[in-house]
Amino acid sequence: MFPTPTITHWLTLSALLFSIGLYGIFTRRNAVGVLLSIEMTLNSAILNILIFNRFVASDDVDGQVLVLFIVAAAAAEAVVALAIFVSFYRHRHTLDVTQANHICDQGNSAS
Amino acid sequence: MYDGTVATLFFYFFAVASIALALGVVLGRRLLRSAVCLIGVLGSSAGLTLVLGFEFIAGIQVLVFIGGIVVLLLFAIMMTSEGHTFEQRPSAARRVMGGVVATAFFVVTLSVYVHTDFPPATAEDLAVSHEDVHAIGRKLLSNERDGYIVPFEVISLLLLAALIGGIVIARKHDPEDT
Amino acid sequence: MTGFLFENAWMIPALPLISILLIGLFATGSNARFAGIIGSVAIGTAFLLTCGLGLAYLSSAEAGASAVTWSIEWLRYQDHLVVSLGTLIDPISLLLLFVVTSVSLLVHVYSIGYMAGDEGYSRYFVFLSLFTFSMLGLVLAPNLLQMYVFWELVGVSSFLLIGFYYTLPEAIAASKKAFIVTRFADLFFLAGILVLGFFVHQWIVDAEWGGVTAAAVQSASAVQALDFATINSEPVLAHLKDQPGVLGLDLLTVAMLLVFIGAAGKSAMFPLHVWLPDAMAGPTPVSALIHAATMVVAGVYLVARLFPGFAASGDALDVVAAVGCITCLFSALIACTQTDIKRVLAFSTLSQIGYMMLALGVASAEHPAGLGAAMFHLFTHAFFKALLFLGAGSVIHAVHSNDVAEMGGLRKKMPLTHATFLIATIAIAGVPPLAGFFSKDEILGAALDGEHHLIFGVGLFVAALTAFYMFRVYILTFLGGHKSDGAAKAHESPPIMTIPLVVLGVMSVCGGWIAVSQFVLPGVELHAHLLVMGLSVAAAVVGIGSAFWLYGGQANRAQTMAESMGGIYRLVQNKFYIDEVYLFVTKMIFRFIAAPAAWFDRHVVDAVMNLSATVVRWVGARLNVLQTGQVQTYGIWMINGTILVLLFLWLVQR
Repeated sequence: MFPTPTITHWLTLSALLFSIGLYGIFTRRNAVGVLLSIEMTLNSAILNILIFNRFVASDDVDGQVLVLFIVAAAAAEAVVALAIFVSFYRHRHTLDVTQANHICDQGNSAS
Repeated sequence: MYDGTVATLFFYFFAVASIALALGVVLGRRLLRSAVCLIGVLGSSAGLTLVLGFEFIAGIQVLVFIGGIVVLLLFAIMMTSEGHTFEQRPSAARRVMGGVVATAFFVVTLSVYVHTDFPPATAEDLAVSHEDVHAIGRKLLSNERDGYIVPFEVISLLLLAALIGGIVIARKHDPEDT
Repeated sequence: MTGFLFENAWMIPALPLISILLIGLFATGSNARFAGIIGSVAIGTAFLLTCGLGLAYLSSAEAGASAVTWSIEWLRYQDHLVVSLGTLIDPISLLLLFVVTSVSLLVHVYSIGYMAGDEGYSRYFVFLSLFTFSMLGLVLAPNLLQMYVFWELVGVSSFLLIGFYYTLPEAIAASKKAFIVTRFADLFFLAGILVLGFFVHQWIVDAEWGGVTAAAVQSASAVQALDFATINSEPVLAHLKDQPGVLGLDLLTVAMLLVFIGAAGKSAMFPLHVWLPDAMAGPTPVSALIHAATMVVAGVYLVARLFPGFAASGDALDVVAAVGCITCLFSALIACTQTDIKRVLAFSTLSQIGYMMLALGVASAEHPAGLGAAMFHLFTHAFFKALLFLGAGSVIHAVHSNDVAEMGGLRKKMPLTHATFLIATIAIAGVPPLAGFFSKDEILGAALDGEHHLIFGVGLFVAALTAFYMFRVYILTFLGGHKSDGAAKAHESPPIMTIPLVVLGVMSVCGGWIAVSQFVLPGVELHAHLLVMGLSVAAAVVGIGSAFWLYGGQANRAQTMAESMGGIYRLVQNKFYIDEVYLFVTKMIFRFIAAPAAWFDRHVVDAVMNLSATVVRWVGARLNVLQTGQVQTYGIWMINGTILVLLFLWLVQR
């Protein structure tokens, strides 16, 4: 019924997930929502690397090591991003990224 | 594990599930629901990793992504007490632009994939090795030319820096600052 | 020990520099009272070093020797255009060193009393030390560029000190005037330096490469275009003399005239003298140090330094003589009519410096006696004029007025000041055996020897005038009855101010007994002119006598005299309207050059600038739309770019 998935199938899947994540990054208004989308794109990148590791360079484990690094970086990024969100929310009482267009700290009146 | 119709079925199952859930993450108007959808996406991703034959990585994905990061996100949603509110709709222009860009990216990537001749994967390539974990460990801590000891140390420093940075940024500075 | 002193002559200017730092950094606020002591100790040490250096020079070096005892490379332009900082030790620099350090020391000590309680006490001493540092650096300069640098530093410190009371509008105006006038003159000096540097350098290069006069260029690499030793050497002068300059003058004359304009500006020669009388707005000790004894003679010193050049040119030397002559006559006339005691002294200074220039002008390569006489007069004048200023300062301090019409009868109130002032007055009047007599006599003798009869006559007349106006001031200030309450309440100044007066008084008496001319010009015969001596004494007596006749008796005699002179008196009293002429000229410049230039600047240059600014602003306003501050918009554009790059790379790859 279905063709056996080749590397192109896999890559298409990962590209599709990445594109959906991109759309989310650009359209979510809540900062946490944007972060969710970013995690999704990271996830699709991981998938991409694993696909290549499996189909192109199955002798090596470099792809898997790289994935470990990406996971660690994603964790670090999530921590800092959430800290920024909490701080931002405390200042502005909102997490709407479209409101975050004031560079200066004195933007309270604009919120 | 990558062989046979079972694997094919699993692939399609997880693919459909992850795409549907991904759309749920992006389009949902409730933040909490989006987060739950994300758990689903990451879970199916772990499933796909399993289909590819990387058990260890699949475990890591479940542990760190779902167990760590998403829980963290849920915390953030709770702390900013926006979980129960509807998110405002993005402006139409933004949605059109985002859609165009995402589609364009997908189309370009896809055409690149379609026009690329990947070497056909042999059965040997697809054979799943169970020695991977040992190999990863050795690779990570090896100081040979192809070892990853330096990035490993750097990433540990990065995590430490992120930890401290997170605390510094998020803590309350002064009473009048809040 | 002698070698040590020679090689470390740089310490003499370095000491005031250290004192600047010490005072500026530490003697502030509540510690300000130490400023005077620090400054005095530093300059006192420099004075002792100078004395040691002088003794070492007299005992070890052959007479008239000149040597660069210490130098460091500073700017290397070309092989023969290296500017170095160094110390040049020869008779005239030693003489000036002695004058500057001694007068500066006495003025520092005097100022401790004079400036006590002033708000800017430590600032004052910083400026004073800065001035002393610059002046010493100027005196020791072995090349023109170092001299120029310190020349400007001297100008700056003079500017700072004239404008010391910066809350008084006239002090600010005076400081600006002094700075602008001397700067204007310095521009010509710089032009002269550039002309000399360029042509002398070219000559050295030609001589070395073309082998033209290789013998003249000993140890070629040591020959530097801007060194005095090079410029004053005979082959260089002969070469410059042969070069055509501008306006039918030879190059040497042009260069020397340019340098002389600079010297005339600093020495306040006619017609660039306008700044000096106004400069009296500064504190009186400053006038004594800068505007009487040291800085204003820098021009004389410069001419003396380049004397071989002036002598070789001939025409330039005639200009020096003429300018000196005019200045000394004309300011002596003005001095007779002024009532502000400091102004009288200022014009007297002008007149005496004119005298020195005149002496330089009558000298020549064959008869350099005038050079020695000028240096001699510089030496004696420094002491008695500083004494006059400090005495005047003491009087002003006591009476709180500058006007001689408000003084009178101070002889009993201020005995020490009176005695020293009288000594200085007699000295400047040229009565033997005080200092002024000998040096003035030597100048007149040099003029007569050089067959300059007109100049001799003018000099004699000015000698009489000098005696007249100085005794006029003396009589009005110290004799007769009190003319104001201030004079009645006056009392003697504290010892810290009177001790320097006494020291200077001793120097004014004895200064003339030192054979300065023989020191400066060893081997030049000087014959005593009994005729000249008799005439100059007679002139002094006539001047003193007429002063007593006019001002000693009934006061209305002078009044009647002035009225009978009518227009001439007013002309002289208003300083020949030179200031007004300047004002007119500057107004003309303003109206016909500056105003159109300003219009051009505002309506053409600025307009272009404004146009470009407007265009940029307009474009910016259009582009501003893209800068929404929305992170997501930026992200979209970023991914757009990424896609484009991706496409491009992919298409190129295929």
